[in-house]
Amino acid sequence: MIKKTATYFLFLFVIFAARAEGTRFLMSAPNAVEMGKQFRLSFTLNERGTNLKLPPGLTDNFDVLMGPSTGQSTSISTINGRTTTEVTYSYTYILRAKKEGTFEIRPASIEVGGKVFESNELKIQVVKAQSQPSQPQGGNAGNSGSSNQQSESVDLGKDNLFITVDMSKTNVYRGEQIIATVKLYVNPNIPISGFEEVNLPTYEGFYTQDIEIPQQINFTREVYDNKIYQVGVLKKTILFPQQNGKLTVEPFHMSLLVQQRVKQRSFFDDFFSGLRTVRATVTSSPVSVNVKDLPPAPASFMGGVGNFDISSTLSSNDVTTNDAVTLTVKISGSGNIRLIRNPELQLPSDFEVYDPQSTDNVKGSNSGVTGTKTIEYLFQPRFEGDYTIPSLKFAYFNPSTGSYITKSTEEYKLHVEKGSDEQSATVVSSLRKQDVQLIGQDIRFIKQGNPSLKSKGFTFFGTPGFYSMYAGSSILFLVLFLIYRKKAKENANIALMRNKKANRVAVKRLKAAAAYMKQNNNEAFHESILKAFWGYLSDKLGIPVADLNRDSAVAGLQNKNVDQNIIDDFVEVVDQCEFARYALVGGNEARSELYSKAESTMGRLEKQMKR
Amino acid sequence: MKRYIILILMAVPGFLFAQEDNTRLWEKANAFYTTEEYQQAISLYEQILSSGEESAKLYFNLGNAYYKAGDINNAILNYERAKLLAPNDEDIDFNLRIANQFVVTSIDELPKPFVVRWKQSIVNLYPADTWSAISVSAFVLFLILLGLYIFGRSVSVRRLSFWAGILVIVFSGLAFSFASEQKSKIKNRDHAIVFCPRATVKSSPAQTGTDLFLIYEGLKVEITDSLNTWTEIKLADGNEGWLPDSCIVKI
Repeated sequence: MIKKTATYFLFLFVIFAARAEGTRFLMSAPNAVEMGKQFRLSFTLNERGTNLKLPPGLTDNFDVLMGPSTGQSTSISTINGRTTTEVTYSYTYILRAKKEGTFEIRPASIEVGGKVFESNELKIQVVKAQSQPSQPQGGNAGNSGSSNQQSESVDLGKDNLFITVDMSKTNVYRGEQIIATVKLYVNPNIPISGFEEVNLPTYEGFYTQDIEIPQQINFTREVYDNKIYQVGVLKKTILFPQQNGKLTVEPFHMSLLVQQRVKQRSFFDDFFSGLRTVRATVTSSPVSVNVKDLPPAPASFMGGVGNFDISSTLSSNDVTTNDAVTLTVKISGSGNIRLIRNPELQLPSDFEVYDPQSTDNVKGSNSGVTGTKTIEYLFQPRFEGDYTIPSLKFAYFNPSTGSYITKSTEEYKLHVEKGSDEQSATVVSSLRKQDVQLIGQDIRFIKQGNPSLKSKGFTFFGTPGFYSMYAGSSILFLVLFLIYRKKAKENANIALMRNKKANRVAVKRLKAAAAYMKQNNNEAFHESILKAFWGYLSDKLGIPVADLNRDSAVAGLQNKNVDQNIIDDFVEVVDQCEFARYALVGGNEARSELYSKAESTMGRLEKQMKR
Repeated sequence: MKRYIILILMAVPGFLFAQEDNTRLWEKANAFYTTEEYQQAISLYEQILSSGEESAKLYFNLGNAYYKAGDINNAILNYERAKLLAPNDEDIDFNLRIANQFVVTSIDELPKPFVVRWKQSIVNLYPADTWSAISVSAFVLFLILLGLYIFGRSVSVRRLSFWAGILVIVFSGLAFSFASEQKSKIKNRDHAIVFCPRATVKSSPAQTGTDLFLIYEGLKVEITDSLNTWTEIKLADGNEGWLPDSCIVKI
């Protein structure tokens, strides 16, 4: 009893476990059918259901020939000791298409435990009924037995077996990615037993990246040119055109093994050699892609075509001298990532810079090549200070907008401190005197300040003003010359006159002195004598009275070769006069004696000077 | 009479404004150059030139703007014009040398006798006006020395001023000839820059002439003759030939 209950419980548990997976109600049908041909529309349900309702509007386009035929399958699987049972119920209808065209089949519905579930939707393309492929009668009956193993080359006709290279785009920019798909189209009535020789196309002028597809070729039904084919994808490749202009993918060919029914010759043949394998060679037609050149690129364009993003990280913002610093730049996105060159990083020129290391990690998929490129810029600051790691500009070409987009990384501030003593000591020892390093060459900057403009072609040279400066200075010189000469002449005349008159003046003054002597005017007498002598010498020697004293007078007289005794007499007279001028010494006799001496000295002087 | 006065009154401020205008344009153009808007700078500099005024500084800055805008031919042309007005400016020489690095045609100049080279380097020390001023002042100094010679009292002063005077008057004459040489350079403008990207030099002034040699843009050539729309040019290496006028621009 207990055992029985346990079994029930177990059973229930299993049911609940199955229930826990949820109810799945699926509708399936081939996606392409021929008109007038029968095909199956089947529903699968993982639970028992009731009241299956066909999609509404189904009978408008299709005839339901038969159905539903129900089926049930149970699968029990044990995984890691856990056993699950799955029951699948299927309902199959046989339909036939009434019209050509593409029809959408709305969801069908079914009731499970009182609840209504809906299936998925489907799309069915109905094409014109096609003729049966004319099965070529390979070989002749005579050697049909021997030709069984040896595959023979046959032509099955272009319509029944062909290969194509599908380009996702045929008008692209250089570097823009294209997905090329190599497809094999086979008429569903031709059974293919295998591939003998496969020469996949070589894409010349393209940079390629294969997309991973399953090793096993999955055939799907597809409508091509209003006919139904079994289509197998042989290879998918992402292409990046590297040249401008028309690029053509050369035709390629492959050999397939096809099973072929041999025309029966006798009753027995039917048992032994109904089929044989023949070889069919198919050749693709050339496909060309028109590649446009990129518009003029900005300086920061590094060859990237696609859609990218750029980000960067700096290993440290605060370092000591000679520490290695890494700036990691990541370019991610879809496009020709592998073909992107490393953007140039403008670092302060006294940094020790190493070559950037770049790694890329890309994956090809149906949407194209996506991935990241990581570039590491390694450098060592040699001197302390605050530096700026400039932002890196990265331009790429976006083919969908047909324009360049520039993105840039962050700008970093790098603070470098002096390293420890021993470190810096080693640095100093390794330092050598260096010449000024020429980092770049550029023209010198413009001139500022007053432009000092003047009218075109004008020079001071050759103008009347220029020549008049010569003439003016010459005339001025001439005038000055004449004036100076005239003046010199006049001066010479005055000196001569005074020289001539000197004696007369002196005699007059002596006479005046004689008159004063009679009047007993002591002071005036001596004064007159002195005046007579000084005035005479001044005129004769050409020395102004103010500059005349006893020494200069003696020197002047000696210069004129006057006898020494006359000079002595002159000095004596002058001395006596100056002495007696204020002191009342001597009387009339002394004065008359001085007078006569002065008179005789003057006379002799005059005689000597005239000579 | 009244009309003339009004005309003068109207002309004087106009002239003043033109001056002021150019200075303002000049500053604006320099500002554009500093902010790297070279095309605007070029158009403003050209505007100053079109008002009939020029200076070495103006040509130099215009050359710089053309260089930065990527027009090497015009840069060289303007540097050469600047060099005419200021033959001994180091900045102009430097930038001209850099601009000439872009010229494709390389020419080995014919070696000149050292006397000619010396003379040219002396002549190019100053522009025409400076030489004129030097000549005039040397002449005035000569007159002063002549005066000293005539009226000098002592024999040594007179002897000294005699020889110094001869020296100074010779120097004045040399300076005058240098000035006239510089002036003739400005006036004659017998050099040109090739503007055609690639020009075939012909043996005669006609399209049918024999092709002699090829020259490329930016090259400085000497003009030796002209006939109709053709110009005879001479390269620094002594080669001569004819080019259409449209291919060259006079410095």
